[in-house]
Amino acid sequence: MDYKKLGLKSGIEIHQQLDTNKLFCNCPSELRDDEPDTRIKRKLSAVAGETGKIDIAAAHEQKKKRFYAYEAYDNSTCEVELDQAPPRLINEEALRIALQIALMLNAKPVDYVQVMRKTVVDGSNTSGFQRTALIAREGYVETESGRVSIPSVCLEEDAARRITTTKDSVTFRLDRLGIPLVEITTGPEIISPEQAKEVAAYIGMVLRSTGKVKRGLGTIRQDVNVSIKKGTRVEIKGVQDLKSIPDVIENEIQRQLEIINSDKKVDKEVRKANKDNSTSYLRPMPGPARMYPETDLPPIKTTIKGIELPKLLTEQFKEIEEKHKLSKELSQQIVKQGIDLDKYVKKYKNIPVNVIASTLVETPKELKKRFGVEVEDFEKQVQPIFEKLNNDEIPRSAVLEILVEIAEGKKVDYLKYKTASTDEIEAEIKKLVEEKPELNIGALMGVIMGKFKGKIDGKQAMEILRKYK
Amino acid sequence: MYVEKKKISGKEYYYLKASIRKDGKVTTKTIAYLGKGNMSKKELEQAVKKHEKKPLLKDLGAVPGDIVEIRTKTSLEKGILMPSFDENIVFIKLDSGYNIGVEKSNITSVKKTGNSEPVEFPSLTKKQDQSLPGISFIATGGTISSRIDYKTGGVKWLMKPEQLLYLAPDLLDIVKINKIKRPFAIASENMSPKHWAELAKKTAELLNDKKNQGVIITHGTDTLHYTSAALSFMLKNLNKPVVLTYAQKSTDRGSTDTVLNLTCSAKAAVSDIAEVMLVGHAETDDSFCYALRGTKVRKMHTSRRDTFRPINCLPIAKISDGIEIISEHKKTNDEKVVVDTKFEDKIALVKFYPGADPSIIEHHIKEKYKGIVIEATGLGHVATGEAEKNWKDAIKKAIDAGITVCFAPQTLYGRLDPYVYSPARELLDLGVIYLEDMLPETAYVKLGWVLGHEKNKDKIKEMMLENIAGEFNKKISDKTFLY
Repeated sequence: MDYKKLGLKSGIEIHQQLDTNKLFCNCPSELRDDEPDTRIKRKLSAVAGETGKIDIAAAHEQKKKRFYAYEAYDNSTCEVELDQAPPRLINEEALRIALQIALMLNAKPVDYVQVMRKTVVDGSNTSGFQRTALIAREGYVETESGRVSIPSVCLEEDAARRITTTKDSVTFRLDRLGIPLVEITTGPEIISPEQAKEVAAYIGMVLRSTGKVKRGLGTIRQDVNVSIKKGTRVEIKGVQDLKSIPDVIENEIQRQLEIINSDKKVDKEVRKANKDNSTSYLRPMPGPARMYPETDLPPIKTTIKGIELPKLLTEQFKEIEEKHKLSKELSQQIVKQGIDLDKYVKKYKNIPVNVIASTLVETPKELKKRFGVEVEDFEKQVQPIFEKLNNDEIPRSAVLEILVEIAEGKKVDYLKYKTASTDEIEAEIKKLVEEKPELNIGALMGVIMGKFKGKIDGKQAMEILRKYK
Repeated sequence: MYVEKKKISGKEYYYLKASIRKDGKVTTKTIAYLGKGNMSKKELEQAVKKHEKKPLLKDLGAVPGDIVEIRTKTSLEKGILMPSFDENIVFIKLDSGYNIGVEKSNITSVKKTGNSEPVEFPSLTKKQDQSLPGISFIATGGTISSRIDYKTGGVKWLMKPEQLLYLAPDLLDIVKINKIKRPFAIASENMSPKHWAELAKKTAELLNDKKNQGVIITHGTDTLHYTSAALSFMLKNLNKPVVLTYAQKSTDRGSTDTVLNLTCSAKAAVSDIAEVMLVGHAETDDSFCYALRGTKVRKMHTSRRDTFRPINCLPIAKISDGIEIISEHKKTNDEKVVVDTKFEDKIALVKFYPGADPSIIEHHIKEKYKGIVIEATGLGHVATGEAEKNWKDAIKKAIDAGITVCFAPQTLYGRLDPYVYSPARELLDLGVIYLEDMLPETAYVKLGWVLGHEKNKDKIKEMMLENIAGEFNKKISDKTFLY
């Protein structure tokens, strides 16, 4: 497809959960699958929006006349999520992280943040609105095909989690309601599906660089806006992952083209992304009359004093890679797993850095794959092994076996793995070569390794063997 | 802004001036006169500081609601100017709908580029069914008749009473609305006995109008239970339902509790329950309401929908699709309501607590109060005997001075009993009136109403202990606790 000819304009919106308590109360941001303690039933009414007119999106939902059930927990949700009490003051930690992210995206914080109420009538907010605040504006990211603007960075509360839907009721769980979300919106300057993916990937990397965002399924959500010449802007909610972005955009272009070619008008609407990257109708595009100030909260003066900008993950990868001469993949894993490699290098001067790195990153995987075992709290358990290795008390080849023993809950007898002395090995090799002259070097090596099982280093044994054979 | 020095007849005068844009031209304007004589640099600085915070926007010709362009040292903001609660911040609504605050001191210029559309709230347009039973409304204020004022950003009594119906159009399937009166619009914490009297008069008028089968009063929640008690005493020979209702969640939000409260109130207003009752959410669910007796109800939570609970009794009725009667009540009748608003407002409600100084009673004696309700502990106690701060003498002095002293339970639940411990018996002998299971707030209202009618000490006591408006419950069932 010739996107330029099609007049493709695309923008993305990224919602990322922060790893803090909730935004407007002190409840933990934790999703739960156990049986809720309380279940309440509410109704929502269509109310006049800010301009005094009922929003068309609101009216659409109103037609359904639904009941909403909300599931709550005694010790991890409170009156705020139940819309029984006003919001507490904004979570300052979340605000600081949001500001940090804004600065990393070259955006300018506003002088004063005013929390707004954005009308939401699908029941996913007990209050009937979502609290959201504009934190910073006028940021940008650089991509291979040019600069893409970030008109806004917002901090808002996540909605409740939809559990079940029946004809006349929807059940939501309140565990997710109120989790801080940073919403990053790009301008419509994205001109190709691949560029959209690049921008989303870059922003995702920036978010993870803070070390303060939630990880895992559902913690980051991507919406994509697509418009083409003669078509219109359509918002697609909930694109599953980065890889799907180009496909979803292409499918939407195709859909709009088909409508245009049959001489129909493309409706301005909100669609949702399906698993196969097609989209389906969700609701009409909400009108602009959806926001008014959250009168229960005072405006907040922003301060960027003391906010440090973390190194980007990409920079961190590169730094590890260059400093320790490690492979790209290993370096990325070290950063992603949050391993403080410098601490190990300093502590265990006699162990080569690649041994430390691969033990920390790859050995756990190997243990699982080859032996089907897992070592809990790996970094702690591996410390005494590194200690022995550093003092040359055990050979490298013993590490895996020792870890298997730990995983199986056995008490490790390190003496069993004691490195044999060079004299001892040399005497044994000399004796063997004399006794079995018929064996070639490979066979001899096999016998030696079997005899000193786990106590010698193969490379060293081979060197000695070569001296006599 | 800058300081200009002028010499007039040999004397120095200082002015604060600013460059402004007028009709597209830059001109100067005097912001303020700073002082005269030989002002030191420090004095001048202080004088300037005092005037710097003056409303800059007004000077520059923009008011809230205007579409403006605000230039700061680093940016250009375009949007609708919003009112500010803080003189150092200017709020504007951006095209995206978000409001942001701009530090006023960073603003270099403001340009008005247009007017925003006025905000109008839709009113009821649905046609009334003339065959339905008629009722009338009295709207007084509170969250139920407040809504966001988008012009000021605050919560205001912007709403016309008619607009309430817009929220709950289902009302018109239950009742025909004859009149909507608005004697005053006031937050409930700002009410006084005068407002109760005015409300009682308006209510009586409507009740004695044959067209009305009942009256609904919308009211703020904070002191709603005082008003319901006051109306219970002030409306004699009650013939029809008087329903007080409220909202804990403002009507601008989808989750407002108003809709259920109003529809249940309408059902109560056309029922055969001739009582002053408070109708509102029975539980946090939007499921059903209770009708609660006006003298035995209390706000028990700062913000829950089901904040009003019956104390020492059960609800009169449960209201959902229909009305399920729970307690005995007066039936509708053909009597004429007599309004009796005589009220002595030189009365006080005083809470006793450990370490409380009895001089508070002395104060009321000195200020010539006529009656005091003391929220006593437990079965009806205040510090006496070995207590460092003994209240007995002060209470005796008050009674000797002709002040009616009543005790009501600060536990709210349960009945006072002066016979269990001897100090209470002594207080009883002094003339303290033990108000059994009456709520302290109801006791306060009743005392004012009784003292408004009676000066004789014995008669006062007799009236205070007479069950006039269901304020006593002779039999408290186990179920009533934390109902």
